[in-house]
Amino acid sequence: MKRYLLAALMLLTSLPSGLASEEGALRPFERGSWQQVLRSHAGHPTLVHFWGVTCGPCKIELPQLGQFMKDHPGIDMVTISADLVPNLPAATRSMLDRAGLASAENWFFSDGFADRLRFEIDPAWQGDIPRTMLIARDGTVTTIEGSAEIADLQKWSDAQVAATR
Amino acid sequence: MTFARLALRTALTATVLAALPGLAAAQMSHQHTSEAACEEALLRCATKVTPAFGPDGTLWLAWMAGGRISVASSKDQGKSFSTSVQVTEPQLDLDWGPDARPKIAVDARGGIALAFSIFRDKAFNGQVLITRSTDGGRSFAPPKPITANNASQRFEAIGFDPAGTVFAAWLDKRNRAPAQQNGQTYDGAALFFATSRDGGETYSDARIVADNTCECCRLGLAFDGNGHPVVAFRNIFEGGVRDHAIVTFADLGSPGEVHRVSRDDWQIAACPHHGPSLTISPEGTYHVTWYTNGKARKGLFYAQSRDGGKTFTDPLPVGQVNRGPSRPQIIAGPDGLAMVWKEFDGTKTSVNLMTSHDDGATWSKPRAIADTNDASDHPLLVSDGRQTYLSWMTKADGYHFQAIEAEP
Repeated sequence: MKRYLLAALMLLTSLPSGLASEEGALRPFERGSWQQVLRSHAGHPTLVHFWGVTCGPCKIELPQLGQFMKDHPGIDMVTISADLVPNLPAATRSMLDRAGLASAENWFFSDGFADRLRFEIDPAWQGDIPRTMLIARDGTVTTIEGSAEIADLQKWSDAQVAATR
Repeated sequence: MTFARLALRTALTATVLAALPGLAAAQMSHQHTSEAACEEALLRCATKVTPAFGPDGTLWLAWMAGGRISVASSKDQGKSFSTSVQVTEPQLDLDWGPDARPKIAVDARGGIALAFSIFRDKAFNGQVLITRSTDGGRSFAPPKPITANNASQRFEAIGFDPAGTVFAAWLDKRNRAPAQQNGQTYDGAALFFATSRDGGETYSDARIVADNTCECCRLGLAFDGNGHPVVAFRNIFEGGVRDHAIVTFADLGSPGEVHRVSRDDWQIAACPHHGPSLTISPEGTYHVTWYTNGKARKGLFYAQSRDGGKTFTDPLPVGQVNRGPSRPQIIAGPDGLAMVWKEFDGTKTSVNLMTSHDDGATWSKPRAIADTNDASDHPLLVSDGRQTYLSWMTKADGYHFQAIEAEP
């Protein structure tokens, strides 16, 4: 009995949190998630990338961002699949894995009313992807519509590092 | 002991669910996460509904629900519908892109042509399938590809010309791989077309209109006074600028020169998922509406051309900028022009209407004619020659079909 209890408690305490931080686990992006992202990365330079599995330009950019993440461990990397595909986590995850982004903080739109999710992020955003938001340590947001130039990301990242010195 | 077992089972269940995020998400809150109200092939479960009137005034709907395309008709302007006919069986990986939808067209004798896209592989390459009904919509032939080519095709548009030939246009990526093999870059897709002289049973070989169009936006299709097809599309101009263009065919097989609708200067390497709408009035005027986020202008716009699409008027802004106006649709109906679009105030999506009785020279003040609190399809306009109607599928409130009242 004790053994069972102990095993159960160990599972209960260790597994769920362990799974939540497991590499590649997708987090459902719902109402309020955007504020959660902003809160949890407040004070850290953060790159938030919006993309989707059917978006042609995204397929080219995603691996570049995977490399960028590898080269810039000081930047928090967040991806959000903003396609209307709450039912395709396997495809989403597989593309993130191949792009080297499995260990990023990965979300996917999980509200069928995507307009409402986008409105919380940026009321002017009509859903075009890819889209990247660079959030500086002081909360300043720079939005890049379409594929980002890696050189621009590099420049922004350098400025973030310089700001801490 | 009982508690321990329960706890253990709960923990294990959590493990299994977490290991299968799709299953977990699906089980926990499927209807919340889906654009659809339900999962059956029924109209009320549809995410995309397309209307068309037949020559006898019958309203036909083609919709996408439960992974299937279905068709039904109404003899009373949408108050009641016939038993639906499933065009596809079993379930298909239908193109769910924001600008994708099944297309339906009815000829003068009541023949029905249908087209839609599926994802043909795990890389989301598309394929355009076509079918037709020769028995008044009671049955449809097994769907087949519109072209033998295996590159990605999406965003088809179909329509009958006055002589009863089906004209089909779509976005096609067949020229991408050969260009890349030659070391050239290839942006976007290409605009292709084909025609069917047997009501949509077989189509001619696919031919190109233009390379390097945007690959993810719906097309606008209309026929001019001579019955020639006119296609409005988001092009990729020099420097990766995704502005709108238009092409008028000299006949069903001869695309004319591509002209620019406006210089919005939207340079973006992205999928806007937001194509134009086109209608041609009895006066022969081309009326186009579109969305842009360009350097020159941002938002929804309207422009017209009185010289067959060669030149367009200065774009007129449409809708309230702070309400994200989107998904414009325009039609030349018996009472003049009507235009609808969506606006979102953070909670509610409304369909807004404005009308013109002078061929687009002046427009009525916009007014909201419908709204919903959850996901919705694009608002569409359709006319039976006597009246213009709004066709709008919503998740929370079902399918709307309502007459557009003439402005005083």
